[in-house]
Amino acid sequence: MKRRQLAIALPFILPNLLGFMLFTAGPVLFSLCIAFSNWNLMRSVPFAWTGLENFVTLWHDKDFWLYFANTLYFLIGMPFAIAGSLALALLLSQKIKGLVVYRTLLYLPSFTSGVALMILWKALYNPDFGPINYAIEALGLHAPQWLLSTQNIVGLGVEKVGFDAKQLGLGARDAIIIMGVWTAIGGSNMLLYLAALTNVPQDLTEAAELDGANRWQVFRNVTWPQLAPTTFFITVMSFIGGLQGGFEQARVMTGGGPAGTTTTLSYYIYTKAFEEFQIGYASAISWVLFSIIFVITVINWKFGNKEVAY
Amino acid sequence: MRFFFLVSLGTLMALSLLAWKLEPRFAPTGKTPLVWVSDDNPQRKLQIATFNAQSKSSALRLDPNNSGMQKIIVQSLAGVGPDLFDTNAANLPVMVAADVAWDITDELKKRGIALEREVWPSTLPLIRCNGRFYGVPANACTNALFINKKLFDKAGLPYPSGPWTWEQFLPLAQKLTIRDARGKPQQFGFLMDWWTWPQFVIQWGGQVYSDDGTRCTLDSPEAIAGVQFLHDLIYKYKVMPSPVEEAAMATQGGWGAGSITQFGGNRAAMGFGGRWWLCTLRKKEQFPGLSLTVAEAPHHKERVFLAYGRTTAINKQSPRREQALEYLLHMTGPAFNQGINAQADALAAFPKYCEGERYLHNPEFPEEDKNDVWRDVMAAGKPNPPSPFISSQLADRIMGRQLDLVKNDQKPVADALKAAASEINAEIQKTLQRDPELKKRYDTLKNLSPAPLPGARPSLGKGSSS
Repeated sequence: MKRRQLAIALPFILPNLLGFMLFTAGPVLFSLCIAFSNWNLMRSVPFAWTGLENFVTLWHDKDFWLYFANTLYFLIGMPFAIAGSLALALLLSQKIKGLVVYRTLLYLPSFTSGVALMILWKALYNPDFGPINYAIEALGLHAPQWLLSTQNIVGLGVEKVGFDAKQLGLGARDAIIIMGVWTAIGGSNMLLYLAALTNVPQDLTEAAELDGANRWQVFRNVTWPQLAPTTFFITVMSFIGGLQGGFEQARVMTGGGPAGTTTTLSYYIYTKAFEEFQIGYASAISWVLFSIIFVITVINWKFGNKEVAY
Repeated sequence: MRFFFLVSLGTLMALSLLAWKLEPRFAPTGKTPLVWVSDDNPQRKLQIATFNAQSKSSALRLDPNNSGMQKIIVQSLAGVGPDLFDTNAANLPVMVAADVAWDITDELKKRGIALEREVWPSTLPLIRCNGRFYGVPANACTNALFINKKLFDKAGLPYPSGPWTWEQFLPLAQKLTIRDARGKPQQFGFLMDWWTWPQFVIQWGGQVYSDDGTRCTLDSPEAIAGVQFLHDLIYKYKVMPSPVEEAAMATQGGWGAGSITQFGGNRAAMGFGGRWWLCTLRKKEQFPGLSLTVAEAPHHKERVFLAYGRTTAINKQSPRREQALEYLLHMTGPAFNQGINAQADALAAFPKYCEGERYLHNPEFPEEDKNDVWRDVMAAGKPNPPSPFISSQLADRIMGRQLDLVKNDQKPVADALKAAASEINAEIQKTLQRDPELKKRYDTLKNLSPAPLPGARPSLGKGSSS
């Protein structure tokens, strides 16, 4: 019976399976193999297996660490994006008129073309006639140079990883973070929270209210713990997305500049593979990035998961 | 459900078949279709139309969406590359090393074409690699100064003419820079594209790389002095916009955007650009009332001007490369080159087409009466060939990072250029460790220390013909 079921099922899943093997699993395994080679699209470099050489080079590659620092810096926006999504979901879970319209409007950035949004934000960040600086200057404050500046809120250095007081301020990295938070707040995280909020048992909320809990206490002691699995899922996914991200922003808004400050690991991989043609080295970076994401995800599961149990 | 899936499948197949049948064939029957990857400069359409009208056997089509060295190399190696592609001096050695550029030296010789004698000498790095030819220069260019007559007249200043120096230029540029009471610029004296910064290095007597290409020499006092002057134009003399002021002047995207449209929009009195700027500036509807003339750009120690241009090469992996050769041969002839001059797509790469009344006075554009200036500065053109010992993309990234800091006034010029040179030289050594063939060439050059002719640098690859 089972064999017969398999014979029927196989043709149905075969196209997908073949596509997966050919276009996902195959290239992934291939990239793992070539990470241990010197494969270069330049014909003058003979192909050779180089063992761990790419990984050793990576360890000493100043650019890798700079761009890794940039990638981590971009994660600063993550808690704000998650908190914003939750706040929006709480607002949209209220029984108010025009709810569907609000939900659609707030989800709009998620289904608008990313490139179009980036071009729009580029104009908004224009240091001289952009509306953001116009508003800042109207308040009598010093307007930052946004996408043209290497400054950042923690004073991360430009040419080496470390603190540089001259770099304290607002710059290109922060501009991209703010745009990312704006895009993410109304995105799929908000929808996940909305779905999770509908699953919070009404009787628990009512019981807390009967016991005299105010709104904040209800949220803190009933709603928030009930949302823990969703928050955990969103956090893990945001970490993964954040560590893999930054490519489109660098490509469209800044070209990785100024002075490489918006180059992330994913953009660096592209540069190494398709601009400098060091495919073997780029694959090694990809696998190191994968390992970093894997380790962080395992840590998240190991420690974050404990808080989820209720 | 089964019926629904079968009907859906059948419909999709029928629609695919219909789409395939209806797909327009760009080449008329009997003609070989050729694909040329170039930019979407409107002049390309005219160039293609001229060729297609002349050719009995081939039909050329433009593909502006797959330009960029990385796309061309990856697609060509995968067997789906274009037949012809445009490249430049920095990328040609990479194309050769990737075995994507076809060596046409013997084909040219068979037909009696001696490019080394026929084209502007400064365009040779565009087409020659390790002494072999891989393309025909599509155009040639050195920048000159576009003069906005209206802004000069308003200031009551005479139009400049060369030869002249940057020292003579400065007071004029300062007079033509106008700021409001708050210090906000209303008009700049000078505008240029930042990517032409090597002009200042070569005019001050420096070079980006040593003659043999084995070392980055951006840390030389001459190179530092040249870039320092460029930096001073922004921050000391304030005649040129800083990045912030430049962004504030940003107008529109697309081909010919940036400095050209800013200059055309009367934001600067003098624009340092190539003759190809005219492709955009000739649009009267976009720039009403714009009245231009041209002057030789100022110089410093050496009266030389950065030469650059495009070259069209044939994809070695193309099954139609023999047919594609017809287009390159067409590019050496009068129809193409006179067309380049008439369209102002820079300058014809063959000096013989830059002579005579036809070139000097185009009846369609009688106000362009200084075409002799473009020809004269081209004769003083000096190329800026890349080093074959480092990927030009990697070198650009390193230089770009340091020059970003200079442009934003965040690092002293000397420190930035020394850092760039040191990093590039370290990368050259790393490249040599990876590439035994390059190492051999490098060692030979280092031991023999030859002084090669412009454009005669060794290639990254074997420089093999088909």
